[in-house]
Amino acid sequence: MGEHGNGIEVEGLIRDFKGGVRAVDGIDLRVAPGEIYGFLGPNGAGKSTTLLILTTLLPPTAGSARVAGLDVVSRGAEVRRAIGASLQESALDPFLTGREHMRLQSSLHGLAKTERAARGQELLDRVGLSDAADRKVGGYSGGMKRRLDLALALVHRPRLLFLDEPTTGLDPQSRAALWDEVRRLADDGVTVFLTTQYLEEADVLANRVGIIDRGKIVAEGTPAELKAGIGRPSVEAIPHDPSDRERLATVLHRFGEEAAASSNGVAVRLPEGAADLAEVVRALDAEGLRVADLRLHSPTLDDVFLAKTGRSLEGAADSAEDEHEDAPAEPVSA
Amino acid sequence: MSASGQRARSGSSQRARSGGIWRVALAIAWRGIHTYLRRPDLFVPSLIFPLVFFASFAGGLSAVGSIPGFHFPAGYTAFQFVFILIQSAMFGGLFTGFTLAFDFESGFAKRLMLAASDRRGIALGYALVALTRAVITLAFVTAVALISGMHITGDGIDVFGLYTLALLLTLVGYGWAAGIAFRFRSIQAGPLMQTPIFLILFLAPVYVPLGLLSGWIHAVASVNPATAFLDGGRGLISGVHDHTALAFACALALVLLFGVWTLSGLRNAERSV
Repeated sequence: MGEHGNGIEVEGLIRDFKGGVRAVDGIDLRVAPGEIYGFLGPNGAGKSTTLLILTTLLPPTAGSARVAGLDVVSRGAEVRRAIGASLQESALDPFLTGREHMRLQSSLHGLAKTERAARGQELLDRVGLSDAADRKVGGYSGGMKRRLDLALALVHRPRLLFLDEPTTGLDPQSRAALWDEVRRLADDGVTVFLTTQYLEEADVLANRVGIIDRGKIVAEGTPAELKAGIGRPSVEAIPHDPSDRERLATVLHRFGEEAAASSNGVAVRLPEGAADLAEVVRALDAEGLRVADLRLHSPTLDDVFLAKTGRSLEGAADSAEDEHEDAPAEPVSA
Repeated sequence: MSASGQRARSGSSQRARSGGIWRVALAIAWRGIHTYLRRPDLFVPSLIFPLVFFASFAGGLSAVGSIPGFHFPAGYTAFQFVFILIQSAMFGGLFTGFTLAFDFESGFAKRLMLAASDRRGIALGYALVALTRAVITLAFVTAVALISGMHITGDGIDVFGLYTLALLLTLVGYGWAAGIAFRFRSIQAGPLMQTPIFLILFLAPVYVPLGLLSGWIHAVASVNPATAFLDGGRGLISGVHDHTALAFACALALVLLFGVWTLSGLRNAERSV
């Protein structure tokens, strides 16, 4: 990657914290220029620590990371000029207005005085905060703060944008608006590195997804590739009469091997996917089996996570939190 | 790249770095002063507390000026005013350190660390905030002291020296507190910032000259750098110089020492934000 590219290259990245906690454990990844890369994992998996390293807020313990073709350790200042970042907690001053934040950020980035006001207004318009621009940020809602944070990250026209769980705590409408804005930025050629614990967000938004668990990348690829890699869709049926469960299982097992199901249901993988569904319904009808519920289940990124780690993403969040928090503690070494 | 090309690139990079420091510092100073002036909970106490001290020390203890052995040409009000001036100056720096610690605790400092191409500008920016806060407080305290009848018997250069010394002490207070703030990144480190400054200020000859102190307090005050600051400041306001050079030498040495302390704290914060 050239020095003026806008991709990301990470090799053997490690980050240790006091107490022997290894938050990032030798990850390798590449993000192509203009790509939206979703970094998916439960709380405490190492997502935010990786992002802090890539944005020069934390040095790695070992390994290397190049952002926009620049080493994050030796050329941190140049990296910071090339990137924009919106971190997990919106780092805003409640006593400044939205417009004053724009002024501060554009001054920090060295925008010409003549350009500052216009650029600030342009971005406030873009994120829909023009009406609230002269109100103190202390009175903003969570969604407004996230949008302002995004606008602030874009002040200096960065080539790469880092978003740390940008839609956590947002209502569905604000979430959709933010997704649209991220797509628009990627269309403009901005590389987006996005951490998330929402499967849907990674699935819908990212060109490629890296799944991280306990500091290691356990799977990487496009959402379609990852889902295709773990198997075919399954069908799950729940008998109307619980005593019919055994007969129901016998019928369904004719179509494929058993898959994970709810406690009172039976599920099997379908060799031809949705195309087998009509045949399944006909077979159940022919046996006189009444079902309370019948569902076709396509593989999700949660299934990918389950297949790679043996745990569900939602469940993993709690256990990972118990093991170690993602928030950095004191470093062992730097 | 040729050697001359490398030199040219290195030169322009150096200029960009120094430009970056001031750009960042001025942006941070703007925000810090703007917030300070907009928040009565910060602004009003920083003006009221020195006045309370001044009223109680200079007013309530004015009879001290009549005790045998106390000879101060400008009078007891001016004698106490110098203490209030130095205390206000150091506290202006100290409270800016509190602001820095709070900004780390709230996460706002991460924005600054992310946006600052040269992060030394962050330390410099808060130093400018400290100096501005101190100038506002010193101007206010001086105005009140003059209205209340304080005499200044030193000349214009002496007075300029007195305020220069006070602003150096603002940087001393700031440097100490900022070094702590960068290392702990939490307002919980507040007592660690203020206790040593309280101690050195109140273990100095606050109410009477050093010669009228006795016992352990005299021994401690004799080696306390704050004694040199008070003697130097009182010498300047009265025009009878006393330890002026020592006061400036101590202040400059502490500014340098705490400058290094602040920058090493910044490096610490860069490793563990």
